[in-house]
Amino acid sequence: MKNTNKILGALAMSALILGCNPLQLDTIDDPNNPSIESVSSNASREQIQFLLTGLEFRHRGYVTNVSQAWNTFGREVWYLNASDPRFQTDWLGQAGRTPDRSYFGFGNTGAGSWAAPYQAINQANVLVTAAGNTNVLSPEETSAVTGFARMIQGYQFMIPANFVYDNGIRIDVTAPLNPGPFVNYDVALDHVANLLEQAESSFAAAGAGEFPFTLTSGFAGFTSVPAIRQVNQAILARANAYRNNWQGVLTALEGSFMNMSGNLQAGPAHPFTGPPDAFNPLYYVPDAAVNTIIVVHPSVLADATPGDLRVANKFFEREIPVTITTDATPLVGTHQDARWPTNTAPIPFIRNEELILLKAEAHANLSQPELAVEAINVIRNAAGIGAYTGPTDQASLISEILYQRRYSLWAEPWGHRWIDTRRYDRLDEISTAFDQGTIFRQFPHPQAELNWDQYVGN
Amino acid sequence: MREIYKLFSAMVLFLLTTGGVWAQYTVTGSVVDERTGEPLIGANILIRNTTQGTVTDIDGNFSLNVSTNEDVSLAISSLGYLSQNFTVSPTNTTLNVRLREDATNLEEVVITGLASNVKRSNLANAVSSVSARELTGTTTIQTTDGALYGKVAGATIRSNGGAPGGGMSIQLRGISSLTGASQPLIIVDGVYINNSFQRTGRATVSGAGASNQDDGANRLADLNPNDIESIEVLKGPSAAAIYGTRANAGVIIITTKRGAEGRTRVSFSQDVGFATPLRLLGVDDWSEDKINFFFPEARRPIELERFRQGVRIDYEDYFYNNTALLTNTRLNVSGGTDKTKFFISGNITNEDGTVRNTGFERYSIRANIDHKITNSIKLGVSSNYIKSDTDRGFTGNQNNSGASIGYSIAYVPNYFDLRPDANGIYPVNPYFSENPVAVTDHAVNNSDVNRFIQAFTLDIDLFKTSRSFLKAQVAGGVDFLQNTTLVYLPEFLQFQRGQANPGDALWGKQESLNTNFQAALVYNWNLGRVNMNSQAGLVRLDFKNDALFNRGRGLAPGQRNLQQASVQEINQQFFSEVQEAGVFLQQEANFDDKIIGTVGIRWDKSTLNGDPNLFYAFPRASLAVNLTNFDFWNPTVVSQLKPRIAYGETAGPVAFGNTFTPLEGANIGGLLGSVVSPQIGNRQIRPETAQELEFGLDANFFNNRIGFEATYYIKNTQNNIQNLNLAPSTGVIITPSNEAELQNKGIELALFGTVVDKANFRWFSRVLYWQNRVNLTRLGIPTYTAGAFGSALGTFLYAEGYAPTTIVGTPADPSIPGGFTVWGNAQPDFNMSFYNSFNIARNFELSFLVDWRQGGDNINLTSFLTDGGGTTRGWFNDDTGDGIPNGRQRPPAPYNNAGRWVQDASFVKVREVGLFYTVPKATVSQAFGGAIENIRVGTSANNLFLFTKYEGYDPETSTFGAQAVANNVDIAPYPTPRRIFFHLTVDF
Repeated sequence: MKNTNKILGALAMSALILGCNPLQLDTIDDPNNPSIESVSSNASREQIQFLLTGLEFRHRGYVTNVSQAWNTFGREVWYLNASDPRFQTDWLGQAGRTPDRSYFGFGNTGAGSWAAPYQAINQANVLVTAAGNTNVLSPEETSAVTGFARMIQGYQFMIPANFVYDNGIRIDVTAPLNPGPFVNYDVALDHVANLLEQAESSFAAAGAGEFPFTLTSGFAGFTSVPAIRQVNQAILARANAYRNNWQGVLTALEGSFMNMSGNLQAGPAHPFTGPPDAFNPLYYVPDAAVNTIIVVHPSVLADATPGDLRVANKFFEREIPVTITTDATPLVGTHQDARWPTNTAPIPFIRNEELILLKAEAHANLSQPELAVEAINVIRNAAGIGAYTGPTDQASLISEILYQRRYSLWAEPWGHRWIDTRRYDRLDEISTAFDQGTIFRQFPHPQAELNWDQYVGN
Repeated sequence: MREIYKLFSAMVLFLLTTGGVWAQYTVTGSVVDERTGEPLIGANILIRNTTQGTVTDIDGNFSLNVSTNEDVSLAISSLGYLSQNFTVSPTNTTLNVRLREDATNLEEVVITGLASNVKRSNLANAVSSVSARELTGTTTIQTTDGALYGKVAGATIRSNGGAPGGGMSIQLRGISSLTGASQPLIIVDGVYINNSFQRTGRATVSGAGASNQDDGANRLADLNPNDIESIEVLKGPSAAAIYGTRANAGVIIITTKRGAEGRTRVSFSQDVGFATPLRLLGVDDWSEDKINFFFPEARRPIELERFRQGVRIDYEDYFYNNTALLTNTRLNVSGGTDKTKFFISGNITNEDGTVRNTGFERYSIRANIDHKITNSIKLGVSSNYIKSDTDRGFTGNQNNSGASIGYSIAYVPNYFDLRPDANGIYPVNPYFSENPVAVTDHAVNNSDVNRFIQAFTLDIDLFKTSRSFLKAQVAGGVDFLQNTTLVYLPEFLQFQRGQANPGDALWGKQESLNTNFQAALVYNWNLGRVNMNSQAGLVRLDFKNDALFNRGRGLAPGQRNLQQASVQEINQQFFSEVQEAGVFLQQEANFDDKIIGTVGIRWDKSTLNGDPNLFYAFPRASLAVNLTNFDFWNPTVVSQLKPRIAYGETAGPVAFGNTFTPLEGANIGGLLGSVVSPQIGNRQIRPETAQELEFGLDANFFNNRIGFEATYYIKNTQNNIQNLNLAPSTGVIITPSNEAELQNKGIELALFGTVVDKANFRWFSRVLYWQNRVNLTRLGIPTYTAGAFGSALGTFLYAEGYAPTTIVGTPADPSIPGGFTVWGNAQPDFNMSFYNSFNIARNFELSFLVDWRQGGDNINLTSFLTDGGGTTRGWFNDDTGDGIPNGRQRPPAPYNNAGRWVQDASFVKVREVGLFYTVPKATVSQAFGGAIENIRVGTSANNLFLFTKYEGYDPETSTFGAQAVANNVDIAPYPTPRRIFFHLTVDF
């Protein structure tokens, strides 16, 4: 009977194991993240704060790609990269290469020049919905959050619009599985202006106090609702310039933080504070013995005015140039970017200097040469190159303003020169002599957009 | 449930009280080896269609009581021998049997279900078995998967590179999944083990990209190949259906060695060897002309000056061509009594790599114990602790950091000296961002694994009559794996000095816990002349992973502790948990070994699926007919002929997280944000399902001396998961979809047998041939290209009617879906292997294995790099005579498209060669008395020769590790070693 007891014992053990029903599975929620449903209704104040900070995060998603690529397209810089020659061959359009729908650096989604800004736009929509579907915010607070979200959307829509230019963008993008049609550049920019006007109305209804949520240090100096409203107007001024609405530029500048006698650097920025945040992606250690680095394009150095403080301040001459050999011709970078004192320096996204130049440009286009020259001289004097003495006909002034923009706004995360020369149909002024490349006009729609239309069409 | 146990115990009681046997007559006799005449110990004598039998004693003798007065048929069998049937009667009670060696493995027992097995001659599937002798008998292979090369028809095994410590992928019968690695499920003694490629962080620190460029090892590397008794490979759904959800890519069942009754055996083995690179390509020399051509004008004076100083260093030789010491020590103790048997093994593997400061160390201890608790309850326990410590160095892809030897030296001309000066100062590399000598000397890429694999099985004979039995089997196991990784670039390296925070240490801690539990009832009964085996059971699987990676940059000199970093960062924390459960039923019917049929079904559910409570059904059916066992067959030349057909369904699991739409954490400016993920979860996602129909013919000739197996299969998969691209303008990019369908068709042939079978010379030979064709029969979403590095350097086409292994690239070709030119296909045309072993004069054994892969293209971006740096051998030659050197003008014209880097990767490798000598017993006992039983010495080689036209170190390479597609991209890999060994084994 001893054996029987053992058998029964073993069976009892099995029964015990079976007792916790091995066929029963637990519900497994995402152990790593909250779900999106958690904020769609009855979001808490903290959740709104997280979404808003998330929007600031998405707002800077374009910075690396646009700074490296668009500034290469406009030959403000070369992004020298020995590890991957395509940063040279493909981005410079060597051997006649032109952008296709999944071009190097942009993939099928358009990456930082398309997918990233649209992610910011989507994040803003989720924020607006969350703020609208909760009763923890006062009407003023809801307006402030909505205004901020619309402002960022206005800014971000300009990125894909300028990326594909004549090809147009989608502006109805609220339903992930049902995007609207592509509209042309003008309609897209009207949509931008409209969003910024909506932001303006929202801010107007949001009172005059501090912004009700915490913003990052990038908004240092712009923490009140009226101050953020000024940022919104500054963005609108840029958009209106792209719309050739010159009076609109001036009106917007009135409401902006433009200050003809103020610090040209003033303006909101994208912060990069280091882990757990990212580092400033444009920072390189001076004279580092590396072969991946953004360098000043030789044409920028060649065309500089002697004594220009911007050249002295922004460009650092390396002891040993960086040389990259390509199939077409070797590229030699003698100067690197000196704008960032550390790898945690913030990157401004719109500055007083640009606003003054927009003022000059608006006046020039409105045939108000004196006012244009007055603004130009603010810039020239700050750069230490003396007042403007050239002709004041419209074409000359535009040339002068574009030249000043080239140095004042050099390599900002926007690709100003590429956009500016295209606006004035002067892409052919960009030099390809140093790299035997091609100047792109615009990109086709990313492959993924085409694929989606094809998928739903099927 | 309680009622069932009452019933069980009642049955047990019944059995215990009815144990009497009415002996009527006794059969006695002996069993010996036909060739050598030596007695066979432990041979089985079984009265057919009953459960009664006995075994031979130490002299090969037996005695068996037969409980009737009628004639009975006895089946005589012994492991490794062909069994034979004899009729005995009360007047014919003496039986002296000579068994022949089973050259064609007809007698081998093959696991076919979760609780059943069948002998090969009755098998309806093409299940490949690899014995210990085949696996590790020829030479010492570092990892188990590496030891399977050329031994399994239908298995495409690919080494990701030559770094020590593993890194292999196995694809059985083509590609079953478009995402993930399409790797088979691996079960060791019943434990579902973790064979993942865990993250090491190298690709993060080197800038290469995602963790699939880490070149980490797959964790099968932890298992000591010498512990393995046999491996069975269920290649597709038709054989593996009973494994359900995780079996789409096949199942590899590994069984480790166990103790046998008898005296305690102690076996000590020592291997000592060395490794050198299998193949190097050489680097290009420079001339003043070449310098003037290559460098921009401003740079030429300094380059010419360096050139004229006269130093010449072949960096390939300098970094790769080192002789590595390999040692492998094993101690096995095994034995046991009737009640308890044990196998205990210890193993120390210590193998250096051919790159300095790389190597692989593995310490393994195993205890496999079997114990009969009672006559009807048997407990088996397998315990294995492993520590493996791997330094894989810095090769492969990188971006900007220069932390890859091959990538860096592609750009360094041979006239520049990178070596440290007398003060130990490493010169700045003016040609790339890093001095690879300093990286090799001082950087760390280490993975330290502690692992415990524990299995148990409890077999309970619930009742047994003379014609039937009922058994319960409860089994389960645990695989706990902890992996500590470190990738460290010290602060004084050139690239680090160029960073704001020099010095980079990325520490990873990963824990994974797999547990599984299985309970089954097996009822074996007879229905007339048909033996029936019925099984029912349930399976429970749990998988948990927990990964934490921390990074410190700006390190104090020489320090790796994260608290010595000025910038400290949680690089990644990731948890995953998966639970699965299944129920299975299987019925086998065996009509007198003539017709053998099996039907079975498994139902599975998984928390990975969109609906975690939905059971998916996986049926199977198979039929084998042993024509030669029918009376009408008159065996002359053909001694066995078995047509067979099998059908089965399985699934491939959904990846963890496919159902979630998360809000991800995002840090900016000291604040935490929640951002909308670019992935939308799919709450309807289903597992990838596959159906396979397999049929074939097994034949044996000349008294089973020669065997032939032919198999054809069609495997169709549906619901293949791939990411559906959403319009990125909506702020989301992907959602997983179940749209694609794949088809794999293939042929597997095997011809094997004993060509010569004399007492003093035996020659066994085996030829395997296999081929597979994969086709994307349905895509369901728009045609796309993906994988590798984009269209300009060769990528892969996902289009209906094309193999997903199709390599496409620039220039545009509008006539092809996706719009690019087709340049090649990664899928081989066919594989063949040749294995031969010779036993000469009883004491010598020579064996070799040759592996041939025909066709299959690689994307060779190593050539792309060396061409970019002017270091490819022959770079400055000018075949076209147009003044443009070859290195700037790789065909096809116009010399700028992706086709330049797509190369045929056909090869023939002499994988294994071994020559062993067993010292004659007389000599041993003369020299050592009774202290030593047996001495065996030998020498062997692994990867002895490579024949290929491919312009790389090895046509087998994958910078992206194990992937279903894009596993053939060559970027500055660790060169494959050639390994030569000397062996000594002493048995006490």
